[in-house]
Amino acid sequence: MSQGYPMKIYREPDLRQSSLVLGWSEDAGNLGRKVTDYLNLKLKGQEFAEIESRDFFPMGGVAIKDNLARFPESKFYTCSEYELVIFQSDPPGAEWYKFLNSVLDVAEEHCQVKELYIIGAMISFSAHTTPRELLTVVNSPEMKEILSQYDLNREMDYQTAPGERPTLNSFLLWIAKGRSIPGVSLWVPVPFYLAAVEDAQAQKRVLSLLNKRLDLKIDFSDLDQKIREQNEKLALARSRFPQINDCINRLESNLMLSEEENGELIKNIEDFLREGD
Amino acid sequence: MGIRLYQEPQLENPILIASWPGIGNIGIIAADTLRGILGAEEFGEIEPWDFFYPRRVLIKKGVLEHLEFPSSKFYFRRIEGKDIIFFIGEEQPAEGGRMYAEGKKAYHMANLVLDVAEKFKCRRVYTSGAAVSLTHHTAKPRVWAVPNSESLIPEIIRYGNTVLMSDIEGRGGQGNITGLNGLLLGVAKKRGLEGICLMGEIPVYLQGLPLSYPKASKSVLEVLTYSLKIEVNLDKLDELDQKVQQRIEEFYQQIPLEIRGQLDRLKHVTYLPAEAWQAGAQPAEPGPITEEEKKRIMEDVEKFFKKRGEGG
Repeated sequence: MSQGYPMKIYREPDLRQSSLVLGWSEDAGNLGRKVTDYLNLKLKGQEFAEIESRDFFPMGGVAIKDNLARFPESKFYTCSEYELVIFQSDPPGAEWYKFLNSVLDVAEEHCQVKELYIIGAMISFSAHTTPRELLTVVNSPEMKEILSQYDLNREMDYQTAPGERPTLNSFLLWIAKGRSIPGVSLWVPVPFYLAAVEDAQAQKRVLSLLNKRLDLKIDFSDLDQKIREQNEKLALARSRFPQINDCINRLESNLMLSEEENGELIKNIEDFLREGD
Repeated sequence: MGIRLYQEPQLENPILIASWPGIGNIGIIAADTLRGILGAEEFGEIEPWDFFYPRRVLIKKGVLEHLEFPSSKFYFRRIEGKDIIFFIGEEQPAEGGRMYAEGKKAYHMANLVLDVAEKFKCRRVYTSGAAVSLTHHTAKPRVWAVPNSESLIPEIIRYGNTVLMSDIEGRGGQGNITGLNGLLLGVAKKRGLEGICLMGEIPVYLQGLPLSYPKASKSVLEVLTYSLKIEVNLDKLDELDQKVQQRIEEFYQQIPLEIRGQLDRLKHVTYLPAEAWQAGAQPAEPGPITEEEKKRIMEDVEKFFKKRGEGG
């Protein structure tokens, strides 16, 4: 099925019944990238394949991030010990159907993937002190049943608003459904003022579910430390800057900020967190 | 991947009327209105996934129930020896946020549409779109007709309220038809099929607004039904036009008085009837507006929209 598709397989992974965890770069809080990076680090993921960029990304130059020129990447990693496949990619800008089918071709034909977990972040207008909820969208009632044993919000109702388009995650979930691969989109709300930096709590929320569901036996002490540090920094920002504190207090009281206040809070928090790095 | 036909109707010398959205949705409203009036029956589609990003998702109680794509459907209607195939595309397969299709996907879609047309022995294709022109929204839009073969010109000249590109001042028979409404005509030519694009005039100051322009769709349909020798009641389009005209008037009143004064003069532009051209008169005779004045109107309109775009 994948013949003729622009992909490179470096080696055949030894997997019999694996799960695929997929994270996109550049979502809110860089969640997809951070979670898949963490899994690769902790579970010693080995790169084994990639989808070539040429057909799926605009080749009109390069993006610069953190002082470096970037080139779009779409890479597969395997953690054979855990029957786990990780796919980390920039979101494609064209030929989405072909791209998403290529992902599932590799997953099915080379990795015997039986379940799909897609990571997604959504912007939240709540304070960072609000516990992170984990919302799920599944592509089959069976998957919903499987997830019933975990503490999740499994009852989301949603319809695309006029002028908007469905997410790439929904598109992938739908294609997986057509191939009878049970899948779930995991959505974590990320406070809007952490969207351009990172949200360690959101990362932990997703990783905890994957840890339990896939029996990964991950020790999260380093991530817990990171969460503590981020919370301490945010507490420090609140104590130093009454304006930041006032805005977050109001968010904690479920009050809305004006557009201008939102913008200022984002800038102040980002500046503060980056200065402390 | 490609075409799905639910049935294979027996058709006799069908013509194809194909349309996609464009400026003022003039062509697609014309095609879809005629399809509805004639009660054409759906018989196939072009599978969307290779061409389009989905446009709507429905999630109920955490389960992805439905993902909807823009449709590209075929319909047919048998009419006494001149059967019709309709193709209605809800979106053009554009990339990079553009409205109009271009490149490989557009070419592929055009060929798929014509594959179906030729399968049913169709020899002629009509498309339709918008002709942005110096006209007023209270005036009756003319129809600019572009054939893909010299042999069709005598026939087009017999249509009422219709002009060829050579009849439009300053164009010298030249121009472009953007997107699939134009591309299909070219691909049809390449495949040896007759093709005519009928473009209804839309005032230049309305082209950027998110409004349909059914008045021009009606003009297109008048020409199309004359060409096909069928009679249909177009009252439905008049009703739609009345509603749209109200919104256009609201917009029109927001245009600064000085520019509006210039635009008001477009109400008085007049054109010679087709018989006059054939008698050797000037191709299109303007009314009391000079070329210099037209140029000034265009500049004023451009300035106004630029200012609006900048939030001024």
